[in-house]
Amino acid sequence: MNSMPSDSASMSFVDRVVVPGDHVLDLTGMANQTIKLGAGLRQDGDAISVMKAGKLRISKPNKYWVESSHKRYVPCVEDTVLGIVVDSKFDNFLVDIKAPMLGLLPVLAFEGGTRRNIPKFEIGTLLYVRVVKANNTMNPELSCMDETGKAAEFGPLKDGYMFETSTGLARMLLSSPPCPILEALGKSLSYEIAIGLNGRVWVNAASPSTVILVSNAIMNSEFLSAAQQKIMVEKLMKRLQ
Amino acid sequence: MEQRLANTWQMTVNERKFIEMALAADLRVDDRGPFDYRPCTITFGRHVFLSPPFHSSLIYLCAGGSSEVQLGETRVMSYVTSQLVQPYRDRPNEGTLSIFTEFSPMADPAFEAGRPGEFAIELGRIVDRGLRESGAVDMESLCVVVGKLVWSIRVDLHILDNGGNLIDAANIAALASLLTFRRPECTLGGDDNHELIIHDIEDREPLPLIIHHLPVAVTFAVFGEGNIMVIDPSYKEESVMGGRMTITMNSNGDICAVQKAGIGISSSVIIRCLEICAVKAAEITSKINHAMESFNDGRSIQYPNFHPVDVAIQDNLPDVIMDKKQIENLIGHLAALPLDALDRNSNKSGAVVVGTNTRAKFENNQARDGVPFYSPSNWDPYPRKLCSRLARSSLKLSGLPEDVEEDKVNTTQSVTVECGLEHTKGASSSRALETPSEYTTVEATSQYIKAPKTLKDAVKIQNRKMRK
Repeated sequence: MNSMPSDSASMSFVDRVVVPGDHVLDLTGMANQTIKLGAGLRQDGDAISVMKAGKLRISKPNKYWVESSHKRYVPCVEDTVLGIVVDSKFDNFLVDIKAPMLGLLPVLAFEGGTRRNIPKFEIGTLLYVRVVKANNTMNPELSCMDETGKAAEFGPLKDGYMFETSTGLARMLLSSPPCPILEALGKSLSYEIAIGLNGRVWVNAASPSTVILVSNAIMNSEFLSAAQQKIMVEKLMKRLQ
Repeated sequence: MEQRLANTWQMTVNERKFIEMALAADLRVDDRGPFDYRPCTITFGRHVFLSPPFHSSLIYLCAGGSSEVQLGETRVMSYVTSQLVQPYRDRPNEGTLSIFTEFSPMADPAFEAGRPGEFAIELGRIVDRGLRESGAVDMESLCVVVGKLVWSIRVDLHILDNGGNLIDAANIAALASLLTFRRPECTLGGDDNHELIIHDIEDREPLPLIIHHLPVAVTFAVFGEGNIMVIDPSYKEESVMGGRMTITMNSNGDICAVQKAGIGISSSVIIRCLEICAVKAAEITSKINHAMESFNDGRSIQYPNFHPVDVAIQDNLPDVIMDKKQIENLIGHLAALPLDALDRNSNKSGAVVVGTNTRAKFENNQARDGVPFYSPSNWDPYPRKLCSRLARSSLKLSGLPEDVEEDKVNTTQSVTVECGLEHTKGASSSRALETPSEYTTVEATSQYIKAPKTLKDAVKIQNRKMRK
C-alpha cells in the first residue's frame, strides 16, 4: 500500500485492512488540530504509521485506532471482561483475564463491600468484571462495580458454560446493532449470554442442548458474513425440529 | 509463581458442572455423539531420494516412513527409522522395535521440555505394547545374520498439539508410519554365501515391514460414578473425567492390550466398551488402509522403481560386500566406538529429518547455504560406521597406506546439504551436485575408490583417531 499524503485519501484507509508500516495520515496539512491515536498507531514525524495489522477505525471527530483480533488480550481501561479466580489474597483476588499478567480484584470492590462481608470465591469461579487500571508494567486492576459504585450485573456468573474465542469475535458479538448470529439465535431460542472483550463468552439456557447449540453456532460464525450466519442458524433450527 | 498461574490453563467451576450435566443427558459439548470420533486425517511424509554420492549412507534415511495424524485439534507426528545392530543375546534371530515419545511444550503449556513426564512414558508404553508385544510387526523377518546383525526399528512420536486423546492419535500415527516405512534389502551372496550385500535403492526396491495386523487403540473417558463413558475425549473432557480406559484391538476382534486409570468401572461396562471398541477399531483400520492406498498410488506414479529424479552423477560404486570376518570387525568397531551424540542437532519438532550430521566435503565450488542436517534426536540411526561407504572405508583402512588418506582430508570447502521431506528440495540438491568435473574422474579401479570428499572421509579420520 502506498502512503498517500492527503486528508481525503486517509479516509480511504478507514475501515480497511492495514498492515504495519502503512502511513495512514499525513499531518502536514492539518495544523492546529488534535488527533487522538489509539491502539496500533504511532506518530512518525509528520505521518501516522500503523504498528499492528488490522482494520483502521475512526470515531468522530478525531479518534483513530487499529482493531485486530488475537487470542491474547491486552487490557484496556473500561473494558468489561470475564475472569477466572485463580487465588485469593488478603486484599486482592488474583483473577486470570487472558492478559500477560494476572488481574487484581480488590476484595472491597463490590457494591456495599466492607471488611465484614468479603465474598468467598473458590478457585475456578467465573466473574464478570471491569478493568479499572491497565498499564503494561503493572498487574491490571479490576472491579465488580461500575463508576457510580453500583453492582450493575458485575460479579460471579452461576451455571452455564464458558468458551474462549478470539478478541475479534468478542468485539463483533458486542457490536451494536446486535450481531446477526445473536439475533438469529434469539429469534428461536431463549438464552443468556455474557461476552468479555478478552475473548471469553459465557452462555446459559434452560437446557444443556440449547447451550451447546448456541456455543457451537457462535464459535463457527467468526468468519461468516451476516447472510451466511443467518443461513447457518436456520439449518441448525431445522435440525433441532 | 504468579507468572506460572497466569500462564496455565484454568477450568471454571461452571464448565466442569456443565460438562458433567450434559454428559448425564448424553450430550457432548462439541455436539458429538458419545461414541463418535472427531474427524481424523492422516498425511504422509514424502520420500526423498538423493543421487550419489550421498546415496549409500543415506539410503536408510530416504526410506523413512513418516506420518502426521490430526484428530480434531490433536496433532501427532510419527517417524520411523532403522539401523543395523547386534541382536539381544536371548533373541538372536529377531529384530527390535522401540518407541520414543517427545512431548513438546508447544503442544501444551503443561508439558515441559526435557525428560518425559509420567504421561509421556505411559503413552509410549501403551503404543509399544500394542505394536510389539502383540506381534503386529514381524521381528524375525528383520534378522539379517543370525546372532550378528538385525534391523532395529525405531519409532519417534512427536506430539505437536494436545487437543485431547493423545493415545489414539499417537497409535494411528505409529501404525501409518510403520506401514509406509521401507528398509533397504540385504541379501547374503557372494561365493560362499557368507557375504552380506546391502543393496542400493536403485538396484533393489526397498522392502516394507511385515505387519501382521493393525492394533488400534480406542480410548474411553469415564465420568460420574463410572457409568458414563465417551470415546475420544477432547481436552476439556479430559480435565473433567474421572478415569480413562484404553483398549488396543485389531479388526479381527483380538484384544491386544488394555490400560485403565482412575475410578473404578464395573465389569459390565467394560464388556460393553469392548463391543464398541470392536466396531471402532474396524472403522479406524479401514481409514488407515484407505489413506495408505491413496498414498501408495501416488508414490508409484511419482517414483516407479524409486529412482531418483535427477541422476546426474554416475554411480560406479559397487554394493558393499562384506564377508564374515569383516562383519565381525565392523561389529567390533561398533562396540568400541561411542555414539557421538553430543554434536548432533536434534530436531525436536520432527520435521525434515533426513541425513546424518556429518558434513560432506566437496571440492566443487558450489556454495550451498550451511543448512544443517538433523537427525531425529540424539540417537544416530545411521551410524556412519555401518553405511556401505564406511564399510568400504573400513576395508580400505586395512589396505591403503595412510598418506593417501591424508590427501583427501584437505578440502577446499565443507558444505552441508539439507535434504528434506520435500521432494522438490531433494531434487534441487541433487541437481546442485550435477557434474562437478571431479566426479567424472571417479573410476572404480578397485573396491577402494578414490572419490572426491564424501561423508566417509569425514568418518575415516575419526576411525583412525579411535584406533590410535
